[in-house]
Amino acid sequence: MADSKFISDENIARARDLVATMERGDETGAKDVIDDLTNIRESDLYQEMGKLTRELHDAITAFGMDEQINKLAEMEIPNARQRLRHVIEMTDQAANRTLEAVENSLPICEAMGSRSRELHTEWNRFTKRDMNLTEFVHLAKRLDGFFATNTGDADKLRDSLNNVLMAQDFQDLTSQIIKKVITLVEEVESNLVALVKLTSGKNTKTNAAQQQSSEILAGPVVPGVNDKGVVSGQDEVDDLLSSLGF
Amino acid sequence: MKILIVDDFSTMRRIIKNLLRDLGFQNTAEADDGTTALPLLQSGNFDLLITDWNMPGMQGIDLLKHVRADQKLAALPVLMVTAEQKREQIVEAAQAGVNGYVVKPFTAQTLKEKLEKIFQRIEGG
Repeated sequence: MADSKFISDENIARARDLVATMERGDETGAKDVIDDLTNIRESDLYQEMGKLTRELHDAITAFGMDEQINKLAEMEIPNARQRLRHVIEMTDQAANRTLEAVENSLPICEAMGSRSRELHTEWNRFTKRDMNLTEFVHLAKRLDGFFATNTGDADKLRDSLNNVLMAQDFQDLTSQIIKKVITLVEEVESNLVALVKLTSGKNTKTNAAQQQSSEILAGPVVPGVNDKGVVSGQDEVDDLLSSLGF
Repeated sequence: MKILIVDDFSTMRRIIKNLLRDLGFQNTAEADDGTTALPLLQSGNFDLLITDWNMPGMQGIDLLKHVRADQKLAALPVLMVTAEQKREQIVEAAQAGVNGYVVKPFTAQTLKEKLEKIFQRIEGG
């Protein structure tokens, strides 16, 4: 190390020289010795700094030329964006398919229900013997039609429900895509940690891990990420509001 | 009864529209942001505004504040339906004059209750 080189026989001799020149009042001579010692010290420092600079440069170059990093920046991260956009698309499609099936089915159920209620009223009249033959013939015809329609409606409803079933196929696929993106995020995370270590040289575990996400708009609650300072569920919202007099 | 539904996700607007229809409210219109909602409200004669919070152009809380600041719209009942459930946000909405606050995910029952509460208050004067 530079320090131990600095304490050399030559430098000890120079130090003795310094004492001697000062004792005999030789200011110029003393300053010369000090200059000598300073030059030596500076050149040692320069050498040390040069070594460190070279090491840092090599490390940064190695880091930049790391194929993995390039691949991440140029391919994987744009890919990840694309994958997540695709997830949005898939879930949007699934939701719409399901909603369509619901919107198709509800009118069928409503019509079925109201027809059934009507005919039930008529049927009750019949069972209470409050109906003549002509009316009964008419009712019989309507019941006939009702059974036929119902059978058709049951089929339509079954088809709608099957559509809802199949629309859930997104979940498996989107989960796989999201898992891949999680893996990518982990890769980026470990590269970032390496980069931080490189530039700071210290152990970098900070309090960041303990802090909760402090975005202004937290969005849907994700347990462990942004569930501090939030209420959980409609009941707590209602309690909070009424406790404030709203 | 004319209702404006504001949310940047079309699926959510569709869900709310269906729930309202189920509760007997057929006359609904939609907007995908606070910025597009405001002109609709100003020219529209709506009886109720249902809005999300988190929207890209103008957020629901700002839409609410604009509505309360507009002489013509100040008395319009506003129901927020949103995923935001931080205490400060709920309080901010209440202080800005929201009439109801529903958090996602919500049930049809909850929506029904909050709507009934709002309309009761209107009738009660």
